[in-house]
Amino acid sequence: MDPSSVERSREQELISRAQAGDRAAFAALVREHSDMVYTLARRLVGDPHLAADIAQETMIRAWKALPKFRGDAQLSTWLHRITVNTAWTQKKRARRHTGAPLEEVGELAAPVDIDNPEFAGEIADLRGRLRDALDRLPDSQRQIVVMKDIHGWSHAEIASASGISVTAAKVRLHRARARLARMLEEE
Amino acid sequence: MAILCEVAAPFVANSAVADTEIIWPVSLHADSCLRCQARRAAMAKTGRELKSMASEQHPAPKDLEWKVMSSLEGDLAVSRSWKKPVTLTAAALSMIVAVVIWRLRPRAHN
Repeated sequence: MDPSSVERSREQELISRAQAGDRAAFAALVREHSDMVYTLARRLVGDPHLAADIAQETMIRAWKALPKFRGDAQLSTWLHRITVNTAWTQKKRARRHTGAPLEEVGELAAPVDIDNPEFAGEIADLRGRLRDALDRLPDSQRQIVVMKDIHGWSHAEIASASGISVTAAKVRLHRARARLARMLEEE
Repeated sequence: MAILCEVAAPFVANSAVADTEIIWPVSLHADSCLRCQARRAAMAKTGRELKSMASEQHPAPKDLEWKVMSSLEGDLAVSRSWKKPVTLTAAALSMIVAVVIWRLRPRAHN
């Protein structure tokens, strides 16, 4: 048996136990996937504190929905979808608090972390500039670039996770990439 | 030419990241324009960089698991252990103090 199939069967066992109400098994799943969920949340919203809240809420939603998880998709893919939905809900909440239009919430919630030494060395290279530009994209555009160009989702998957039509997803992606190119060129 | 480049720019960016042909009729200009070709090359590099970001991970906050599991318990697990005894002690103490104050209150002499 190769290591990946051992890993899969171990995860499957943890899922079955968690579905039966075993919280220790669910804690093990949280431990295993928390970096992935937090990373995606951080890419989607930019702000590390908001990303931590989203990661927490994602895991709680996952626990509640776990009995309905049938294993058609991988657990990581399923968690990806919940993270995107949670980020979307948080964005709506932020809009209610700030009164800002949906497109602008991302710009308010995404400070550019230039002072952070973690990013200081990287900001000069393409990845640093790219991260900076991604942070400055409005939420809806950033989310679509993250889903499509980083995680390789199909237009249909993006449309379903974001609650928009496939055409709208394509148009939004087109605009987001054009804006990203413009931002990188302006720097 | 610069105006044509600006019109073509979003299409050039998209085709570069998606690694597809530039749509007609924009390609009539972009395929023969050095500026658009340079833009396409730069954006193709960006597209590759975006793809490579998929393997990069930010470590989750250390207390994430604790927060999640505590939330599943209802109230925070830690608060439950001390909340009840502290509340009962505070209530008992305030009752004793009230009784003492009542007993020591100055009374009017007849």
